[in-house]
Amino acid sequence: MIPLKLATVAIVAVVIQLTLFVEVRVAGVAPELLAMLGVLLAFYAGIERGPVLAFGAGLLWDVYLPTPLGVAAATFAIVAFLVASLEEGLFHDSRSQLAVIVGLGSVASVVGYALIGEVVGQRGLIDVEMLRVAVIVGLINATLTPVLAPVVRWALVEGRR
Amino acid sequence: MALARRIGRSRHRLILLVLTAVSLLTLDLNGFGPLGTAQGFVRDVLHPVTEVAGVVASPFSDAWNGVFNYDGLEAENQELDARIMELEADEIRNQADRQAIERLLLASDLPYVQNLETKVAAVVRGAVGNFDSDVITIDLGHRDGLEPGMAVVTGAGLVGRVDRVDATTSTVQLISDSNLIVGVRLVATDEVGLGNAVGDTFEINQGLDWPEDGDLGKLPPVGSGVVTSSFSRYPAEIPVGWVTSASSPDGGLSLEVRVELANSVDDLGFVSVILSSGLDQVPLPEIVVPDTIVPPGIDPDDIFIDGETPESDDGG
Repeated sequence: MIPLKLATVAIVAVVIQLTLFVEVRVAGVAPELLAMLGVLLAFYAGIERGPVLAFGAGLLWDVYLPTPLGVAAATFAIVAFLVASLEEGLFHDSRSQLAVIVGLGSVASVVGYALIGEVVGQRGLIDVEMLRVAVIVGLINATLTPVLAPVVRWALVEGRR
Repeated sequence: MALARRIGRSRHRLILLVLTAVSLLTLDLNGFGPLGTAQGFVRDVLHPVTEVAGVVASPFSDAWNGVFNYDGLEAENQELDARIMELEADEIRNQADRQAIERLLLASDLPYVQNLETKVAAVVRGAVGNFDSDVITIDLGHRDGLEPGMAVVTGAGLVGRVDRVDATTSTVQLISDSNLIVGVRLVATDEVGLGNAVGDTFEINQGLDWPEDGDLGKLPPVGSGVVTSSFSRYPAEIPVGWVTSASSPDGGLSLEVRVELANSVDDLGFVSVILSSGLDQVPLPEIVVPDTIVPPGIDPDDIFIDGETPESDDGG
């Protein structure tokens, strides 16, 4: 049941990103729902499952991105590993902490995506604009955390609660 | 200890994930067919869902744009008002609705692709992420005969090229993308070169030479046209834009020409795809045989080109 729920959440996130957030942008920047999903999965699923699930979310998003397949997947997996490592060692669950973690994780995902994308030959990803985009994505994703976090928690729990 | 062991195990798993990603990247960059097919399949399966979701989401998008992009909409409205007045004035001047319709048809015609088959496509959506602002998705796919590399145009000129083709949709790499290099010809001087978008401008920065004698009169004049070259990947003579400046970046060796694009790619609603693909449409260069003037009193049969021997030698 959990894989089905996770797949549904990931697909819904992609569909929202492809429809609503093509138009709805803040200062020209769209939220990165899949990056946010990766961070939340790492936070709730832990260091063993989190990076694998984040990799899957990134792979689904890669299908729509102009960069070669694997760029977002690798980025999200690495960020998820870092987030889960920090969460296991330092943090305790609280709403404000979670929003901060999602914000920082999203910034890291955007920067990581641009860096890896540039390494594999996509031109024009790294510049001042990239930093602006990363910061705005971090702020929007942190704001949206209270909406997506319960959904991810629900998807990771077996059966009905 | 348990935490350290878990992190250690996870680190190995992360390395495996990164290696998987690198393998996928390598296969994708090398154009591994099944991988592209699988991605296309996912997009095709989700396409009906995104279409329905798009309809559901559109009132929210409209409301958002109405609230937060009001200034932009107001400016656009004023621009449209001015355009309407201009059109009304034209109409009054001509005193004939029929003539106005004919003009409109002429404007929407694509006179430069008369002999090529085209298909009109609606733009489904613009950029989906934050780093692909120069990509649009259109509602035609390989079921409609589209193939990667086909030119995408409007009545004003070149818009971009078909990049990724699925069953019912395709993505178009816009001419504003710095990764899209276009072979162009300067109409005024008949020189050919390669150009691409650099920031907000389009520059022809490869293949053009500064006039050897330094005669500035040989430079392309500002306002002269730029079209696709017959040696480009697209059909020849598609308008690209107008020359805005010409300069030499290296002190008189090469020539760099800045171009204002004929098309605004910011807000495209409909485009046309030219259904001729890739290099097939590029005509081979004609082989030019120079005329030979034979001086009076010399038999042409007595003339031998270097390395050629007379027939009599062959015969011994």
